[in-house]
Amino acid sequence: MTTETLLDVRGLSVRFAMPRKSMFGQRPVLHAVRDVSFSLRAGRTLGLVGESGSGKTTAAMAAIRLAAAQSGSVLFDGVDLRKLDAEAMRQRRRHLQVIFQDPYSSLNPRERVGAIVREPLDLMMPELSRSDREERVRELFGLVGLRPDQMALFPHQFSGGQRQRVSIARALATNPRLIVCDEPVSALDVAIQAQILNLLRRLQDDYGLSYLFISHDLGVVQFICDDIAVMYLGQIVEFADRPTLFSRPRHPYTAALLSAAPSLARRKSAGYIREGAVKGDPPSPLNIPAGCAFASRCPRVQPKCRDERPVLRGNAADSVACHYPLD
Amino acid sequence: MTEPLLSIRDLKVEFSTRHGQVTALNGIDLDLLPGETLGIVGESGCGKSITALATMGLIPDPPGRIAGGRIVFDGEDITRAGARRLRSLRGADISMIFQEPMTSLNPVFTAGDQIAEAIMLHQSASKAEADRMAVALLRTVGIPEPERRARSFPHELSGGMRQRVMIAIAISCRPRILIADEPTTALDVTVQAQIFDLMRDIQQQFGVAIMLITHDMGAIAEMADRVAVMYAGRIVEKGGADAILDNPRHPYTRGLIGCIPVLGKEAGGEKRMPPLAEIPGIVPPLHLLGQGCAFADRCPLAFDRCRAESPALEGDSHKVACFAAEMEAA
Repeated sequence: MTTETLLDVRGLSVRFAMPRKSMFGQRPVLHAVRDVSFSLRAGRTLGLVGESGSGKTTAAMAAIRLAAAQSGSVLFDGVDLRKLDAEAMRQRRRHLQVIFQDPYSSLNPRERVGAIVREPLDLMMPELSRSDREERVRELFGLVGLRPDQMALFPHQFSGGQRQRVSIARALATNPRLIVCDEPVSALDVAIQAQILNLLRRLQDDYGLSYLFISHDLGVVQFICDDIAVMYLGQIVEFADRPTLFSRPRHPYTAALLSAAPSLARRKSAGYIREGAVKGDPPSPLNIPAGCAFASRCPRVQPKCRDERPVLRGNAADSVACHYPLD
Repeated sequence: MTEPLLSIRDLKVEFSTRHGQVTALNGIDLDLLPGETLGIVGESGCGKSITALATMGLIPDPPGRIAGGRIVFDGEDITRAGARRLRSLRGADISMIFQEPMTSLNPVFTAGDQIAEAIMLHQSASKAEADRMAVALLRTVGIPEPERRARSFPHELSGGMRQRVMIAIAISCRPRILIADEPTTALDVTVQAQIFDLMRDIQQQFGVAIMLITHDMGAIAEMADRVAVMYAGRIVEKGGADAILDNPRHPYTRGLIGCIPVLGKEAGGEKRMPPLAEIPGIVPPLHLLGQGCAFADRCPLAFDRCRAESPALEGDSHKVACFAAEMEAA
């Protein structure tokens, strides 16, 4: 398998100015993504994992320029997307597609699903004739497990899983190289989740797609991702390949996530007690602590952690931002 | 054998919809023993929440109604109880926590007031006593600085803290049954783990019996002593948690366990995990249920008999409603 880098994100930061609290007050700044770097190999899946507010979605959206970043570079196929002018960026968009979490709000309720799937072709590939585009839509419906006779229906006539198949067909329409999958299965029932996850993996194998896969569910991540970046309060705290992360997590937060994730092996009958559980909630991104952001919840916290912010250190297989990582 | 605290027999719940009368629960039998956790698992629309609401006497009528069967709590059939009796049971003997703590708390009252309200409703306590008990309860459910948090409004609390407040309200009158309807679905994973740990602590401390409704087999493994698997308004498999997880007999239960990407051992190296088991199709709408087994259309083992008649739940401690499973066992 090729190990060519498709997407290389360096030092990406995203800040949002929040509304003033009072008329003469300063506008509070929310640091959503702080100096994040990661790279995605062609044909692979990189997971961005974290809890709500960790900045995983903002980081991914900034990487494909759907959110404005304040600093950093995003090399896609060697070209810095952040330096492209609007028209050049528009041309690139056919290689960058998104599947959103909620298949109910991400499809236009007034459009027929055939037209929804055709729209990227109309916009990005006008050189194709109308009948070629229709033919491509028909083909896409087959690829994602829908019937061509369903093309004339509206989104409300489909179940959640089928709507997500429509979203996937739309994302595939222009033969993209990278698809950002933003929690694509978390709104679906468990049995439907499995159908969609298997479909995504099959499409990746058949078309050499690269996925940037955003999820809070470590079971899903272990199933679909090759490399994983664990995010906490806007930063990557651990980056590792899948076998390393799941067998030897090094950041205490990664370990806590793993011990919190559902597993069939932990049985009440066997007197299971959770180890490495964390207390409390994540701190606010409006008021980021000086030292390690995880210090307030960390079971292994030392005085140094509260004063000095750890940086991501290590090699390509595993790097961790922690003063006292687990062995 | 221990006497069950709650025993549901042949419970039928019907709703009138624009498709006519549909049967949301079709002959449910369940027992909840004192101090145990019973897990009820299934996809959305299978009747888990309706079972919980029926037990609380909260089926909206109309459009719903209990069309048959009994729900016996401590010797009393509560399907026949009047509104007044139900009000005195709810909160005091049987209480419930819901999926979304933001919508189940009142936004214009403080956390402390809402706990005190439940206490004053069911116990003869003055406002001052109830306030003191509310603070003590907040401490019990692990909220830091309980005196200050008692004066917070729901929007000032995080999702995890709101769910802790809900639990404080639910246990304020030392109920004997706690019904938890997907209590952690709206929460982040680490907070979800905290809430499950809290529920286990509370069960040990107060001996409350828990009915845990979930779609998550991982939560079942961690929390439940016994499990009922529901599909389209019926129980399709029922038994001890270990028996169900290690030796599922109904094809639906097998599918539910196989289709969930739960954490597994790394195969090592670059090797990926095998594809997930799939249950094809979706849960059928209730108004389209026919004579046969409701799962037949999605079932890999279905044969003619499955489409003609509906299998009954049979077996000793591990019961299953499936013709194919019966043949397998024979």
